[in-house]
Amino acid sequence: MSASVGLNSSDRKARFDLPAWLARFGTLASLALLLIVFSLARPDVFPTIDNLLNIMNQVSILGTMAFGLTVCLVMGLFDLSIAAMATLGGYVATFLLVQYPDTIGVPEAVLISLAVAAVIGVFNGLIVSYLGISAFIATLATGSIITGAMLGISNSKTIITGIPDEFLIIGQGALFGVSNPIVIMLAIGVILWLLLEHTQLGRHLYAIGGSAEASRLSGIAVKRYAPIALAICAVCAALGGLMAASVLGAGRPQGVGDTYLLNAFAAVFIGASSLRPGKFHIVGTFIGVMLIGIINNGLSVMGVPTYWQYIVQGVLLIIALFSAGLLTMRRR
Amino acid sequence: MSVSSPETRPAPSTPDGAALLADGGAEIALEVKGLVKEYPGTRALDGVDLQIHRGEIHALLGENGAGKSTLIRLICGATRPTEGQILFEGRLVELNSPQQAQDLGVAVVHQHFNLVPQLSVAENLFLSQTLPRRAGLFVNWSATEKRARKLLDRVGLKIDPWTEVSKLRPDESAMVAIAKAIGSDARIIIMDEPTSALLPAEVSILFGHMRRLATEGHSFLYVSHRLAEVFEIADRVTVLRDGRRAGAWTREEMSRKTIIRAIVGGDKPWVEDTDAGRATHGEPVIVADALAGGRVRDLSFELRSGEILGFAGLPGSGAEEALDLLFARSAVLSGQLTVHGKPVTLRSPRDAKNAGIALVPKNRHTESLLAGASVRENISLPNLNRFVTDPVARFIRRGRERADSQEIATRLAIKMPSIEASIDSLSGGNQQKAILGRWLASGAKIFMLNSPTAAVDIGAKADIYNLIRQIAASGAGVIFTSTEVEEFPRVCQRVIVFRDGVVVGELAGANATEANIMHLAVGGDDER
Repeated sequence: MSASVGLNSSDRKARFDLPAWLARFGTLASLALLLIVFSLARPDVFPTIDNLLNIMNQVSILGTMAFGLTVCLVMGLFDLSIAAMATLGGYVATFLLVQYPDTIGVPEAVLISLAVAAVIGVFNGLIVSYLGISAFIATLATGSIITGAMLGISNSKTIITGIPDEFLIIGQGALFGVSNPIVIMLAIGVILWLLLEHTQLGRHLYAIGGSAEASRLSGIAVKRYAPIALAICAVCAALGGLMAASVLGAGRPQGVGDTYLLNAFAAVFIGASSLRPGKFHIVGTFIGVMLIGIINNGLSVMGVPTYWQYIVQGVLLIIALFSAGLLTMRRR
Repeated sequence: MSVSSPETRPAPSTPDGAALLADGGAEIALEVKGLVKEYPGTRALDGVDLQIHRGEIHALLGENGAGKSTLIRLICGATRPTEGQILFEGRLVELNSPQQAQDLGVAVVHQHFNLVPQLSVAENLFLSQTLPRRAGLFVNWSATEKRARKLLDRVGLKIDPWTEVSKLRPDESAMVAIAKAIGSDARIIIMDEPTSALLPAEVSILFGHMRRLATEGHSFLYVSHRLAEVFEIADRVTVLRDGRRAGAWTREEMSRKTIIRAIVGGDKPWVEDTDAGRATHGEPVIVADALAGGRVRDLSFELRSGEILGFAGLPGSGAEEALDLLFARSAVLSGQLTVHGKPVTLRSPRDAKNAGIALVPKNRHTESLLAGASVRENISLPNLNRFVTDPVARFIRRGRERADSQEIATRLAIKMPSIEASIDSLSGGNQQKAILGRWLASGAKIFMLNSPTAAVDIGAKADIYNLIRQIAASGAGVIFTSTEVEEFPRVCQRVIVFRDGVVVGELAGANATEANIMHLAVGGDDER
């Protein structure tokens, strides 16, 4: 019997822990697999620098919003107001530029619209921290209020004429051959990565997300953090909407953010299933965003009908969450 | 195997028929032989033998990680053994599912009794069975009630079957859980730390019921950390250590020393010395004057530097609540607190921490650990201020943070794969050390420890006692509570006893005995 024990223990070291590996690297592996499949299918179109930049450009708005969403999900807060917030970001900026062409320039318009978003984000956080309403419900409510307010202010009319060219540069210009939206997305990503991984604020956000009570008993003023996290998320969402308005050259008072809401959540949750299973983090979110972008791009390059993109994305989300969940279940 | 009694093999469905068994009959209800269970990376059980006789209360002891829960999981069919045999009433069985073990008459009563608190007693009793129906469709509630009453009578519990379980006393809940087990024809009832939520009086009621059911032929496998209870109730005890049987004794053979030695292993010293009577000369670090809030009223005391002060009392007496009050975790309604000679008003745990107070709460998992985070992150949690680069961006110097946490971990001899390992991979005792280390690193001068040895195995308890003494010796003041009264004389120099929210007495030095503390805590007229 003792001989068989020895055999087993040496066996054990060599054994490859597949579920653990999948939970960690499954998303990256499927990303690689997709890249290979699409590259083999369309070697002339898919695996080119131009197409890569094209993909990143396509996901830049989604990415900016998903990065912001990561910050509040780290703390355990669901922000459903990002859709309305994106609409607000684009509409308020164009509204100001058109309404006050002589007094408000592009930088002021951008700053004011982001500031409005920040204030609403703080308001979201105050509701969550001091009224004790769950973020899920609170942001659903404020999202509805924002949507209503935008429709009221705009009279449901889209702003098309009178938007200055400088505003269009945000979405349509480029820096050293890389389009501005990509630069903005990456800059936001780097800033929020630094914030979450390397500052005290980020560490406290993770701590509160892990255990609010342990954090409170460690002397962290827990209630102050929901307004901060939700404000960051709101600003990112508004920035995303602003980029969308600039790309379109129009300020739509409704529906801008709706297309991004589900994808942003999907990207963040796919991200939470990669590298650090069960944890929201910026690098993971970036992987999630790219995965969505590559699926959509690859499938359309291959000429697959658009509806398949939604189906593949949904299946992938389930697989990603299942493989991350598998590891946590085993730990118990 | 010695089970060759041909005349006894009662039909599984008639446990009442088995009630007439002779006392001390040698019939073995459950036998386990050479049980081995391997998990990737560990051998949780390494050839364990266990015999539970019919009508016996059999205690299973061992530190956390000794293999108790693995053994239970194997017996109740939750997982399959790598090697070895399980025999029920002499028959070799292969358990592939918990359902199969249940059919053979095994039931597990967990620590929290696996009852649904919002449902009635009757509904809980038959949760896993089909209820009697009318027309095969609607539940026949009057028949359900009749069956529930019959079952409650059988375990001797006098409560209305329609009482909501959340309204029951803990001992009543335990008995409902047992009734539920018996209702499903269980003859071997595994009790996993059933008394952790019970008051002493409730424990003795529960034990009375268990005794009676045992004489009726039911067997119990009783898992507990509380040695005193084991001596009170067990007919036989098996001790596991490192996945092996470290010994088994009958009631007559048991002694505290041999059992503790078996649990801990020969090489580790068992802390028997007490600090009673040791002089303390320090300055007062915290003084409370007529503090009130929550259940606590009129709390006045003085804690000196270097002193370990016990707050004793039954659950709900205010002893534990007083710690929450002192840490401003619950609101202070009136009274004055003086810390290091200065009057202070604490409005939040943050204020308390900034005043140099540390609180180690009772429940590690819900109140102090950051699950999934590393040991480093768990130790540095309240201390990140010390590692920031500047007051605005507040970047953390990761290297200094790691060195600092590593130093604490080394000083407290925390056993861990590395400082970056997940806190979840540590044993309970080492997790608790990390929590204590968190506050040592913060430089706190007042330590409030709420049951720091709860759910920690015996070897680690000794380490934590030593750590508490070191903290006091370094000049801090320590307030200590525990759910095990025997710990107070061992740890504290002075004990304040609470009852119904007020301090009913103070015991110092040689007077701070377990008996004296209990006498004050229970109240003079409460003799049973």
